[in-house]
Amino acid sequence: MTVRYVAPILIVSVAVAAAQSPARGAEAKYHHVHVTAASPSEAVGWYAKYLDCAPVPGRNDAADCGGVELVFVSQSTMGGTQGTGVNHIAFSYADLAAKMAALEAVGVRGSGVRLQRFDDGTTLREDPGLFRHGFIFDPWGTRIELLEDGGRQGFHHVHLSAADPEAALAWYRETFGGKAGKLRGKLDGLLLGDVWLLAAQHPQGEPAPTRGRAVDHIGFALPNLSEAARKLRKRGVAFQEEPAVPDNARAAAKRAYLVGPDSVRIALVEPGFAGVEAVVEAAAAEETREPYAAPRTPWGEPDLQGVWTGNAAHGIPLERPLDLADVQALTAEQAAARRERGTLGSIWGYEREWRDTTLGYDKMIPSRQVAMIVDPPDGRLPEMTPDGRRMAAEARRARERYTRTPPAGPEDMTPYVRCITRGLPGMMMPSIYNNGLQIVQGPGHVAIQKEMIHETRVIPTEPRQPVGPKLTTWLGDPQGRWEGDTLVIETSRFNGKSSYRGSTAGMKLTERYTRVGPTKLEYRFTVDDPAVWTRPWTAGFVFDLDNDQYELVEYACHEGNYGMFNILSGARARDKEAAGAGR
Amino acid sequence: MAARAKFRFSKPDAGIFLAAACALGLTLAPRPASAEDDGIPRAWDGRPDFNGVWQAIGTAHWDLEDHPAVPGHPDLGAIGAVPPGQGVVVGGEIPYNDAGRAQKQRNFARRATDDPEAKCFLPGVPRATYLPYPFQIIQGDRKIMFVYGFAEANRTIHMDKETPEPPPLDSWMGRSHGRWEGDTLVVDVEGFNGEAWFDRAGNFAGPGLKVRERYAPLGRNALLYEATLEDPAVFTRPWKIRMPLYRRLEENARVLEFKCVDYAEDLVYGHLRREPTR
Repeated sequence: MTVRYVAPILIVSVAVAAAQSPARGAEAKYHHVHVTAASPSEAVGWYAKYLDCAPVPGRNDAADCGGVELVFVSQSTMGGTQGTGVNHIAFSYADLAAKMAALEAVGVRGSGVRLQRFDDGTTLREDPGLFRHGFIFDPWGTRIELLEDGGRQGFHHVHLSAADPEAALAWYRETFGGKAGKLRGKLDGLLLGDVWLLAAQHPQGEPAPTRGRAVDHIGFALPNLSEAARKLRKRGVAFQEEPAVPDNARAAAKRAYLVGPDSVRIALVEPGFAGVEAVVEAAAAEETREPYAAPRTPWGEPDLQGVWTGNAAHGIPLERPLDLADVQALTAEQAAARRERGTLGSIWGYEREWRDTTLGYDKMIPSRQVAMIVDPPDGRLPEMTPDGRRMAAEARRARERYTRTPPAGPEDMTPYVRCITRGLPGMMMPSIYNNGLQIVQGPGHVAIQKEMIHETRVIPTEPRQPVGPKLTTWLGDPQGRWEGDTLVIETSRFNGKSSYRGSTAGMKLTERYTRVGPTKLEYRFTVDDPAVWTRPWTAGFVFDLDNDQYELVEYACHEGNYGMFNILSGARARDKEAAGAGR
Repeated sequence: MAARAKFRFSKPDAGIFLAAACALGLTLAPRPASAEDDGIPRAWDGRPDFNGVWQAIGTAHWDLEDHPAVPGHPDLGAIGAVPPGQGVVVGGEIPYNDAGRAQKQRNFARRATDDPEAKCFLPGVPRATYLPYPFQIIQGDRKIMFVYGFAEANRTIHMDKETPEPPPLDSWMGRSHGRWEGDTLVVDVEGFNGEAWFDRAGNFAGPGLKVRERYAPLGRNALLYEATLEDPAVFTRPWKIRMPLYRRLEENARVLEFKCVDYAEDLVYGHLRREPTR
């Protein structure tokens, strides 16, 4: 299998409407900042939703931010902007307080808006003589300044971090023209059109190269690229890529790359350059598969052993979205976008860099499966019984209680947060990290270990006496059997304390594990819980074999549950505040 | 399938076993001449078959060393008392260095709150073996998995690594590499985080601990467990524990999950409850 590392790149193309005539050097009409993002369309959507940019018609990878074009391309990432020669990009808002309050209200969960707080806990501060400002991060690690520069709206500046700021600005002016000046009479900079290029002193040593980081490069458009390139070569500037029309270019315009001061990567483009069509690798649609006979263990049973992950399946919704009612499989771009959304919804407290480099999550091409539920055929959960609806409403109220009010103790949180269990079938579901599944077999037994919070099930494949009805457990009492090459597990006697979508202690869970290719393990499960649903329902997805590079690590969840300490001590602080307010 | 059932469930019968193995076209590993009557169940490759549910019987989980009976928590009456026990340390005493012995005494004094077992933390090795709960061995051809009842602990013994690989990170249960020495399964474990204890008396080692375990069959339903423990930061020399492990013979024997977090939350978080319990 070809494993391609798909990561997002955000290209910010800054179109300068009325470029100043440069004093020297080539004439810059246009520049862009190229930022690394995994799904271009998700990145466009993010900038449209939170920073008021407008999607560029006819393109899924570009957004217009008040005269500045941001373009996003997929490439592997090496981390955020920090420490590189591009410290941040900046947007101006006429009413900054309102903008920041709106972003703060969104929060990080499910959205990917991360705020930088100053030492006093605030997100905005006044810089005397300049303006009010604050910082946020986009989900791909780009540091973004939000400021209030008069009534101005939209893209405001690119802030370099330079070993020698004065020399850096001189180099840009020499190379691209623009007007040297002081922003608000205070900050040295270069004005290109109405967009500033500023340079701050890099805190220590040399900035890290931008290439491969969240802001991969900044770019300038030149009316005559060949002529500009000739002049640059004369000045001894070496090109990383010579001017050429790139593969998959949308327009017959040339692009070149060079490395400027402080290892900042710079693109030069001809007018009309419209980026390249991203090639998104398509996973095979799961429906098309050859018949496959599972290998055998030395003692003759189908061999399911190995390390599998659900990384490719992460993000497949349980239920078929209503607007995808007639869709057989997602397009590759839709699949990449969905996974990116799933990531933002799941881990946005973490660095994307960590997700992409440490987890290896992006190495798996995302699944194009539309939804997990295959029966009922509409992909939706069947109708609930009246009891089911009542219990679901109760569960919803309980959930709201613990998510909206400070928890009195651990019991107000889910068994997963408490590191007890993810329950069944919850523990089999793909997660964003520690997604390993290790299967070890001995004659007559299959051990199924999930890495996430370390849960292991031992499944007998020879019939045995089930436990009595009083002996309930979180994960129930399993009985396995082989049906041809398929491992079938029926589990009951649940304690009912870790519900899946409303399931109860009376659930009968039937799982089917079938190898459907050398590296594919199909997982199907049927939930039969007549107290809740008017009929059984079946869902599934595919695990991928990852023996070569993946090893389950010890997910000592409860042992390191600092989150629980923090949640509870935060709750007690809230209690104290509330008591103080009531006095 | 019938042949497999013979391996697992029939009384030891070398004739049937050999016939079945030949039918599957397997090459048998060398076996002792007495194999036909040693009563040791054999796996597909002629190695001892440890598949099954096992448990230690004794008081090693209270204290690895000799210990007299002592009272426990008064609320529990005789139920909470510590029963007397003969030590499992070969030679009698754990050879602590001075700092190690002082730490052990501190651990003992604070055992009610500091014992990782009380907090439902992963037990580490070798403690997982002789906790008073059963564990199951799933013996495959490339890995052997140990699934313990307590705290959902488990270990994967890598039997398929040519040379031991460095532990990817420190952990409670360590990283285990196994090999066969004749009929004995030898497992080397290292990469510990140094947080685990050995028993309820506060015996312990640091992160430099290296454990070599030996599982040697003693007929059909017992095996001899031996663990050599080495940690120069805590002990003056390597030392050894030894005890039999017994196969659980109940027809319906299984390892029931004992997810104990629930029962440790007061101990760990009680002071942070709205109505503090500690």
